[in-house]
Amino acid sequence: MTTNHRIQTPILKVENLAISYETRKGDVQAVRNVSFEINRGEAHGIVGESGCGKSTIAFGIVNFLGRNGKIVDGSILFQGQELRGRSEEELRRLRGDQVAMVYQDPMQALNPSLRIGDQLSEVLIVHRNLSKEAAHEKCIDMLKRVYMPDPEAVMLRYPHQLSGGQQQRVVIAMALLNNPALLIMDEPTTALDVTVEAAVLDLIDELRREFDTAIMYITHNLGVIARVSDRVGVMYAGEMVEQAPVEEVFLNSMHPYTQGLMRCVPKLGLSKESSYLCPIRGRVPSPAELPPGCIFEPRCDYARPRCRQTHPELRQAAPGHFIRCLFAEEIAAQEWQPPEDLIPDLTALMARKAEAAEPILHLQNVRTYYEQESRSVASLIGLGKKCYVKAVDDVSIEVPKGCTLGVVGESGCGKSTLAKTIVGLEPLTGGEVEFLGFDISVPVKKRDIKLIKELQMVFQNPDSTMNPSFTVGHQIGRPLRCFKTVPRNQVRDEVIRLLEAVKLSAVYYDRLPRQLSGGEKQRVGIARAFAARPDLVLCDEPVSSLDVSVQAAVLNLLLEIQQQYGTTMLFIAHDLSVVRFFSDYIAVMYLGRICEVGPAEAIYAPPYHPYTESLLSAVPIPDPTAEQKRIRLSGTVPSALNPPSGCRFHTRCPRKIGEICETEEPPCRDAGDEHRIYCHIPLEELRKLEPVVTVR
Amino acid sequence: MLVKDYMTKHPLMVQPTMSIVEAQRFMGENNIRHLPIVGKGKRLLGLATRQTLLVQPATLGSLNVWEITRFLSNLTVGDVMVKDKDVVTIGKDATIEEAARIMVENKIGCLPVLEEGLVVGIITEINLLAQLMEMMATRVPGVRVTVRMPNRKGELAKLVGAIAARGWGILACGGAPAPKQPDKWDAVVKIRDVPREEIVAALEQVEGQEIVDVREI
Repeated sequence: MTTNHRIQTPILKVENLAISYETRKGDVQAVRNVSFEINRGEAHGIVGESGCGKSTIAFGIVNFLGRNGKIVDGSILFQGQELRGRSEEELRRLRGDQVAMVYQDPMQALNPSLRIGDQLSEVLIVHRNLSKEAAHEKCIDMLKRVYMPDPEAVMLRYPHQLSGGQQQRVVIAMALLNNPALLIMDEPTTALDVTVEAAVLDLIDELRREFDTAIMYITHNLGVIARVSDRVGVMYAGEMVEQAPVEEVFLNSMHPYTQGLMRCVPKLGLSKESSYLCPIRGRVPSPAELPPGCIFEPRCDYARPRCRQTHPELRQAAPGHFIRCLFAEEIAAQEWQPPEDLIPDLTALMARKAEAAEPILHLQNVRTYYEQESRSVASLIGLGKKCYVKAVDDVSIEVPKGCTLGVVGESGCGKSTLAKTIVGLEPLTGGEVEFLGFDISVPVKKRDIKLIKELQMVFQNPDSTMNPSFTVGHQIGRPLRCFKTVPRNQVRDEVIRLLEAVKLSAVYYDRLPRQLSGGEKQRVGIARAFAARPDLVLCDEPVSSLDVSVQAAVLNLLLEIQQQYGTTMLFIAHDLSVVRFFSDYIAVMYLGRICEVGPAEAIYAPPYHPYTESLLSAVPIPDPTAEQKRIRLSGTVPSALNPPSGCRFHTRCPRKIGEICETEEPPCRDAGDEHRIYCHIPLEELRKLEPVVTVR
Repeated sequence: MLVKDYMTKHPLMVQPTMSIVEAQRFMGENNIRHLPIVGKGKRLLGLATRQTLLVQPATLGSLNVWEITRFLSNLTVGDVMVKDKDVVTIGKDATIEEAARIMVENKIGCLPVLEEGLVVGIITEINLLAQLMEMMATRVPGVRVTVRMPNRKGELAKLVGAIAARGWGILACGGAPAPKQPDKWDAVVKIRDVPREEIVAALEQVEGQEIVDVREI
């Protein structure tokens, strides 16, 4: 029931906030002119690409800017009282225990050397002078509130003994112990699996209603924002460019930047045949070199001469809808046509797909086990029973030439191990891997150099896969020299050609990795993988660490290169919308096994494997009107050291049919068109399931 | 309908060290009339209202302007507040009618809601009036009928039965003894999506009851 009968003082009111960081080059304004307010029980989302000043606002509110940061202008009213210009002691008293914060990485928020119970009760003992026993009781109550299984035992554990999702629950419980009026959450679910993320988001929503806490929710994920917030503020280069209720932002966005962001994310269910991603060109300007007029003008498709001179103010364009754009009303988002140079031409790719292609990669009962010593005394003298972590167990798949196979699953289900096994970085324990008709079950060292050349990899983290002390040109040139793709005297030309192919210019040849942004580094990684002109490229989460606009550009780039060279790809990702968009075939993995494999469109419609169904119901969809069935998996992925008997998913399966699931391996059910489901439930029943996501 | 569902959670609260000049301004700016004063961990120390902030002229040493200024600038809310032992409070699991009774009997306008001595919310007469409004479905259009009936068992059932027999829905229903007629009872019902005449025609047929007031809202 609404009880807003009178105008209330907002819990947090930020007005014209400006925050600067002192640097050697002088003050850099990281945040300028930001205003918003959050009422009781309201969740205000703040979204934007990295480097837009989202976290700086959060740190400014809790006065955690560090030595070189300072609030230069504006006011922060918390519960009606001004926070700016007060001494440390006054601030501590004012905010007291009324503001709590949850950070991205739960492991860093918890003290690894203290038991969970001691850390939690400390909050109450310090702030409320409770006795140890009373505090302990209260903490257990709170852990129950956040649905922590077995809270008494958790109190005695150390942080490393909990899973990521459980750690984040502990941090949320800790934040709520004092019943704060304002909760600041800075990317709280970014490091978590989709299934865990969905559970944490449900929890946040429920707690918000119960405790009437005002929530400031910072994230770069548009899907998450659509799920949790009431109002959304879109940040760009330190300014708030659009602010409106969540439906308005998603269905009727007015600022060109917000519209651009929406076009960068693939909608769940859309594929590369039916749609394309439109990256925003250019990149976020550094706060030190802002354009004089509208800050988005250099990247805006609608820019007019006036945009270059006048800096737009935040103005109300519709009731409750604020934008910072001079000509927003004259922009018709529906009529927007992507500029020619941004969309890759995929006709050849489609044509190639139409031909029935030969499988290029063939995996038969592939197993990769990691040996683990048992802890018994006998093992010390080599007599102990050997344990195996069955990272990949009995996987059989085929990838047709020129196609993309997507591999999805929660973390720890063996996706990366599978890729490493194929590439030869992990020795094969059993089974056969055939590539172009050759047996490649030997480790990479014993492979023929020609074979190595045909198999290349793009890694998740571009920072750690590039040698920081070699130039970009040298690193891309290395495979060219090793595999003798081109004669030695043409290496430089070839590298420049590759750089241009990944939309970087020749000036990058002599740059060092630290001079590149994340997206540029990933482009170099892609150029390096494609330098040898391989037949198969394994991409292990190539876009997970990138911003949405960069992600769209990198995905387009991969598609374009694939189209040009006819390369086959294995694409590992945890974002189901991206996988659906990018792949022709998809394999869903759980605990080392394949539980469903088939053409991409078949995976996203019934019949589903129950695991696929729950994964789909957990994906945050960037559309607040989409209806999604609510299936939440309990618990975490069991240890691969001792996987459950029968169907491995039976311990968490919401559709378990009985004892048969525990004792017998699920049969392979062929749903036609190469779509295979490994489940005990008959196909007819799986077909009757309703689609998980309905978009109106 | 418990206090915890209708109280204002996270009320505006201040420290006892705030000067009364500042407190005046604070209450005015945020349009509040009651200000819980809390210490560490939101423990209730006292309550300030606009009245407690009015300084009695008798407490002033002299009426010299400079004296008054000095006196006021040294005065904090902690000095003038109603001390915690004198503040009437309520638990969050009490019913709202209990809250109303305490407020009426003590002739006070607000109750800080405490849980183990810590302020978890505040319930004021506005919260209760808002609830009265909701109970009478004030914001939903419909026909509001007041029916006077003998104060005995089964009479309300007759009225409700007559409405139910026609398949109409009751938006809200309330009752109280009729003013100055101890043997009578006034019941108010609000019915939606039915024309006024039909309702009047139907309810006039209920035996022994009379319609005192009909209006469309």
